[in-house]
Amino acid sequence: MASRTKQKEEARARRLEEERARAERARRDRRLRSVGAIVLGAIVVVAVLIIVSSGGGKKGGLQTGTEASATSTAVNGLLAGIPQSGATLGSPNAPVTMTYYGDYECPVCQAFTLQGGFPQLIQNEVRQGKVKVVYKSFCTATCNGPGQTVFNTQQVAGLAAGKQNLFWQFTELFYREQGQEDTGYVNEAYLTGLARQIPGLNLTKWQTDRQDASLATQVAADATAGHNIGVNGTPTLIFQGPKGQAAPNAAVPTYAQLQQAVKQVS
Amino acid sequence: MSTAVSTAGPRSISLDGKLRIAIGVLSVIGIGIGGYLTYTHYAGLHVLCLSSGGCETVQHSSYSKLGGIPVATLGLAGYIGVLFSLAIRGELGRALGFGLALVGFLFSMYLTYREAFTIHAYCQWCLGSAAVMTLLAILTAIRMLRFEAAAPAASRKQVSRAERRRQMAGRR
Repeated sequence: MASRTKQKEEARARRLEEERARAERARRDRRLRSVGAIVLGAIVVVAVLIIVSSGGGKKGGLQTGTEASATSTAVNGLLAGIPQSGATLGSPNAPVTMTYYGDYECPVCQAFTLQGGFPQLIQNEVRQGKVKVVYKSFCTATCNGPGQTVFNTQQVAGLAAGKQNLFWQFTELFYREQGQEDTGYVNEAYLTGLARQIPGLNLTKWQTDRQDASLATQVAADATAGHNIGVNGTPTLIFQGPKGQAAPNAAVPTYAQLQQAVKQVS
Repeated sequence: MSTAVSTAGPRSISLDGKLRIAIGVLSVIGIGIGGYLTYTHYAGLHVLCLSSGGCETVQHSSYSKLGGIPVATLGLAGYIGVLFSLAIRGELGRALGFGLALVGFLFSMYLTYREAFTIHAYCQWCLGSAAVMTLLAILTAIRMLRFEAAAPAASRKQVSRAERRRQMAGRR
């Protein structure tokens, strides 16, 4: 009797053990399926994020048609009536000079030129003759990407427009139509496309002026001047006036910060 | 009997507890990083950075936003989500935490790749966040894959039931 009970107990224990093993296997399979589904889902989500990030985040590049016309109109509206000479914007008699070390392909320069306090500075202090802006070429983003040769070509293209006192139109258009970093978007078609968007620019003269060796020399001189005063990034802004010199700390200064720097040196 | 309870039971709870604490601490660090970068972005402030201009370059690059939303803000939401998942008991909480951390980890790797090969600038805050996300992905994966912790507990329960039945049969 005792032996039969013991056999029954053993059989029950075996059954329980088998059930337990089955349950454990099922649980493990279920969990592995969950993990697999989560990993697959995560990959799909990240793939969508990457597509949005690289495709829809910022397209940029040379504009055409009505988009280009609207940009050109906005640039002319901003700069119309403000004197220009070479890379200088504003009255030559302005008591304060803001030297702007920049790189056309630098996204932070783009942020400063378009979204920082710069547009308001142009509309107010520069237009009123209180501040003049001098742009100096300093290779940062372009040298990290396409290289010095492309940098020289693009900056000289701007200075060639400056020979017709349209440097700032070219510069503003470049920043407004700046392409995706490291995609090699700056080529002849791009530079000529920008130049064509500038009303009043003599395209033939601009093309001839691009060969002027003095402009390449100026780009090199700007870099030397920047290195000599310790410029190591763009945009670097230096305000000089009767009361000395000031440099805003922020990479993309607000209008209030620019006004403060103007006040400090005036 | 009391020895078995004090060694086997609390040990599995302790491991899960430790993982939960570590995930909680890392999430709070991540919230700090994401919160700081989001604040500086919307307040237009200069980001404290060890390298010259690296953080600014990365923060103003085209990869710093996703559909108009700063990626720092998305990261902040992700860390809050992972922290929130700790409050959900059971499989759902573990799965949610693991899923969010995995998405964060994979996207952080993509952004780090962009920093290295496209933007050519590094932001210490972003690298710190990527490191935190990597640790979170590992820890949440361990929580998700802990077969061993649950299995012995079930086995003990069933064995003790069999033991009780045997004792009952003995009494009869």
